[in-house]
Amino acid sequence: MTPFELMEPQTLQEAVGLLDPDDASVRPVAGGTALMLMMKAGVFAPTRLVSLQHIGAQHSEIGVSGAGELRIGAMATLSALERNTKAAEAFPVIARMLPRLSNVRVRNVACVGGALAHGDPHMDLPPVLAALGAKVSIVGPKESRDVAVDELYTGYYETVVGRNELIADVIVPAMQSRKAAYLKITARSADDWPALGVAVALHADGNTLRDVRLVASAATAMVMRLTEAEKILNGASADDATLKRAGDAAVAEAPIIGDIRGSVAYKRELLRVGVGRAVRQALSSRPTH
Amino acid sequence: MAQVGRGIPRLEARSKVTGRAEYTHNLRLPGMLYAKVFRSTVPHGRIVRIDTSAAAALPGVERVVTGEDIRKVIPEPYYGPAFHDQPILALDKVRHVGEPVAAVVAADPHVAEQAVQLIEAEYEELPAVYDEVEAMTSQAIVHEVLKPAGTFADLKHLAGKTGTNVALDFHLTRGDTDKAFAGADHVFEHTFRSQQALHLAFEPFVAVAEPGDGMVTVHTSNQTPSFVRMEIARLLGWQENQVRVKVPLLGGGFGAKVYVKLEPLVVALALIVRRPVKVALTMEEQFYMITKHPTTFRIKSGVTKDGKITARECEVHWNGGAYADIGPRVCQKSGFTAPGPYDIDHIKIDSYELYTNRTPCGALRGFGIPQLVWAYECHTDIIARELGIDPVEMRRKNILREGRPQATGTKMKDAAIEQVLDALAEQMPWSKPFDRGTGVIRRGRGIAIGFKASISPTTSVAIVNVSADGSASLNMATTDMGQGSDTIMAQIVAEVLDIQAEHVRVMHTDTDITPYDMGTLGSRSTFHMGHAVRLAAEDAKAKLAALAAEAGLPPGTNYPPSEIFVKRYGMRAGNVIGSGTYIPTYQSPDKTTGMSENVTPFWMIGGTGAEIEVDTETGKVRVTRLVNVADCGTPINPRIATTQLSGGATMALGFTLFEDMVLDGGQVTNASLADYKIPGMHDIPPMYNELVDAKQSNGPFGAKGLGESATFGVSPAIANALDDAVGIRLTDLPMTPEAVLRALRAKEGRPLEDDA
Amino acid sequence: MSVARTIHFTLNGRKVSTEIEPHHNLVELLQRFDLFGARESCGQGLCGCCTAVVDGQPVSGCLYFAVMVDGKSVTTVEAFDADGALSKVQQAFIDHGAFQCGFCTPGFVLMTHQLLQDKPNPSDDDIRDYLSGNLCRCAAYPEIIAAVKAAARAGR
Repeated sequence: MTPFELMEPQTLQEAVGLLDPDDASVRPVAGGTALMLMMKAGVFAPTRLVSLQHIGAQHSEIGVSGAGELRIGAMATLSALERNTKAAEAFPVIARMLPRLSNVRVRNVACVGGALAHGDPHMDLPPVLAALGAKVSIVGPKESRDVAVDELYTGYYETVVGRNELIADVIVPAMQSRKAAYLKITARSADDWPALGVAVALHADGNTLRDVRLVASAATAMVMRLTEAEKILNGASADDATLKRAGDAAVAEAPIIGDIRGSVAYKRELLRVGVGRAVRQALSSRPTH
Repeated sequence: MAQVGRGIPRLEARSKVTGRAEYTHNLRLPGMLYAKVFRSTVPHGRIVRIDTSAAAALPGVERVVTGEDIRKVIPEPYYGPAFHDQPILALDKVRHVGEPVAAVVAADPHVAEQAVQLIEAEYEELPAVYDEVEAMTSQAIVHEVLKPAGTFADLKHLAGKTGTNVALDFHLTRGDTDKAFAGADHVFEHTFRSQQALHLAFEPFVAVAEPGDGMVTVHTSNQTPSFVRMEIARLLGWQENQVRVKVPLLGGGFGAKVYVKLEPLVVALALIVRRPVKVALTMEEQFYMITKHPTTFRIKSGVTKDGKITARECEVHWNGGAYADIGPRVCQKSGFTAPGPYDIDHIKIDSYELYTNRTPCGALRGFGIPQLVWAYECHTDIIARELGIDPVEMRRKNILREGRPQATGTKMKDAAIEQVLDALAEQMPWSKPFDRGTGVIRRGRGIAIGFKASISPTTSVAIVNVSADGSASLNMATTDMGQGSDTIMAQIVAEVLDIQAEHVRVMHTDTDITPYDMGTLGSRSTFHMGHAVRLAAEDAKAKLAALAAEAGLPPGTNYPPSEIFVKRYGMRAGNVIGSGTYIPTYQSPDKTTGMSENVTPFWMIGGTGAEIEVDTETGKVRVTRLVNVADCGTPINPRIATTQLSGGATMALGFTLFEDMVLDGGQVTNASLADYKIPGMHDIPPMYNELVDAKQSNGPFGAKGLGESATFGVSPAIANALDDAVGIRLTDLPMTPEAVLRALRAKEGRPLEDDA
Repeated sequence: MSVARTIHFTLNGRKVSTEIEPHHNLVELLQRFDLFGARESCGQGLCGCCTAVVDGQPVSGCLYFAVMVDGKSVTTVEAFDADGALSKVQQAFIDHGAFQCGFCTPGFVLMTHQLLQDKPNPSDDDIRDYLSGNLCRCAAYPEIIAAVKAAARAGR
């Protein structure tokens, strides 16, 4: 790795001021794991890193409101979220997903904000939060704005977060009577990056599904909603024929990309069965308190 | 108390759990510099220009070195155990992506790394060849000139074929296969392929060279210290006693760290800059050093209607990559076992070692045997199923039994093939009904057995030093890379001298004082070094008895050694040095027929049983149980021996299901642990391990080698289980979920459709 | 442009300080103190050979900026036998032969200590989940699981 300048601002606003909208070699660093990987691989050589370490305490609170809304400070580590019993009770899908997200050491260091801002489509947290209808508040030099997680991504490692903006908070709407699941299919070792991720959140009125939010990851260049498949599922019952139609619709709408974890043709088949499996898993999940 | 047969913990256990174990990785010397390597980006090309000026100008850079600079200290800078074909840094040509082209030396490794990125090279690209079968006829010739090394007795005949990519071809003919095929009830022919895979030792290759006064010291993570000394001395034109090689513990080896690897480079650099130089590879760089041979194996068998194999033809193409390394021995040594552990009258073997433009391929835990067993045990199973014969019965009908001639004509001795097969069948248990399932998840089971000859003829020498207080030290060049050799050799010393094994000190190799050993490889140490250590300890014991006699002690009485020394020297003083040398007998295979009366001092037998679940919608195979059985004679340390079984089987599981170096235009596209996955905690099935009750009659205390045996049968056992579960037959490794799903869908007549 | 800075931290219970450049990682920092139990192997935080504990949390030293330990407390495997006696986890690893080459072992030992602190009686699944980010190429996994259970029974 090559030398660089390290800045350690004390406030979020100060941090934003140290970022440069026109210089890609200036980046914020929270936990630093993903960034360090890119630096070691020689794909990123920063001139300046803006460490968010000293502003972490102010932006790492995790709380569930009386109405059941989950608010996560972007600097909260993934393991802090994992250990938060209130969040786990209110959002079992997050609690089930976290123990298999990367590994303990990464979760201890990596922050929720970084995991969302990195833009790697293989990550587990973005599709789950997208399915749950979460939004992030993004702080820039002048103002802050809210963006839905499913609208955060514009391409492979590309997001709407500007070079001089930071994600400050994540807000996940209450589960209420929703059910949710995250299906992660690996093609090689069990702890590999997924070949496909499918996240789903839905209401079940007896046999009828509604408010289905279905999200694909890993097999596509970015985390994305599968709206055509959602249309088929909404108002229908989760029988074999419907799930199969939804799977086919997902395959028709998702721009799947091939990689060493599977060809396009193979990942299509994974998505085709993955949609139904994710919905069934959500339906059989235990309800929230 | 008997020391041999005790399941004691490893002698170095405490140092390993406290993080204080000594590895070359840790070594830092005063004034030491670090070197980083600039590597080829093209698979085959003539070097037009290397521009090192920007790198040399970077502040902190001590020196930038190219292949031509190496010539100033080593005029003929080519090395290798079989051919002297590998330049220390590329000269004239590059032959694979990742080949070292230049090196930067600096006090700060980050500076060296930064400087490497400033080097520019221009190549005139040449046509390249990657496939082992295409290499037979390709116009792309990897080496225009071949230079046999002539180092090892078993490779003395090595010549290669100039103007081709054939480094070695081995042929064996026994009986008349054409005639036998004509008379057979059935003839089966299949072709199986295996992939390029990586050892991936967790201590990546690392070496330090330290120039001295008329000598050089090499600290290295290496399985063959004696060869390193010999080869470095040869390269420098020095005497062996001017080269000192020190090897502490190894953080894994698996056959990667054999012969010389980084050592010639660090020595050359250290002599150029006249300072100690360390080269420590990253995990990514390991993908450009040495790998496992990809193979194509066409196998053809003539069989009677009741399942007796009458004839077998084996044509094996070994993809050796850009430099021969020890590939020619893999091709020959493993080649002659290609028909499997079966009693077959008519045999023909053609085994070819080919140069290609890939990372060089050498030995990986099995020396080519797993690639062969993959083919012959799938083939055997297909035949059994086609003929409606139970796969276990099929094998029972055909296995080699004691006294029967193997393909080379060497008669089987102390090879517990039937016992291993029986133990597998019993532990599965094969005779019990098996539920194959009906829904999305289907289940299946399969078995496979394999065998291997030892490396021969090879020499081991050991020294046992008894101090005046009676404590004993063992000095040998066998290196402990986790297999437990230090511990079991100490047990042998202790057994002979009647002391506690834990009290024997096993010295780390230092060739200034450590005698010769051919190498810690091919599961040869327990047998060869085991004998040498036994002989050294017996020699020490005899000398102690002689000392007692000199001291006037009556013969036959059991004086503790410490008292013998005091009696003889009047105080606690003196040493007794016992030495032992062992080399087994051997007859080289005949150059035309491949026949030999005595092709190996012992046989290793390994078998695997697998139960699996197949997700028929995703193609995912989950191994639900592995049964690992081997014949290692009588184990010196049963506990350590058993962990060799589960460890070997797990490694082979990775090679079976997902490990694969993916190549695109000669470039490895997954050269990292993020993209090349190995088995972890969640991938391990429940395992049952068994060492059959056996004795190697010519082995030390009845023992023989084991490190590779559990790797033999894993791939075909799983492939056979897959066939059993869902009726598909995969012939290529690895058996990824995608490969399985594609085969399933092809069988259903609705193949996966790829975009044009 | 790159400025070495002085950092102060607690290392295995001792207050220390050193000068370090921002592009150095925690493994390099530990080597300065002659601590070699944390080893960089895969360089990607996947194998666990470089595990160190920072403020009570295990991290991958190869992906951890050294400057970030400023003001924090760092524990390495070398802390466990500081008084000459092995920890119960270390003893269990020896008793169960839970390693071969030993290169990954310090990482497993540190992670096991941490696991047992969080979950004194871990199930097999707990052990597999928690240790799945530590790889062992020699594949001593069955013995490691047995050792973790034994250490749990012995109360760490």
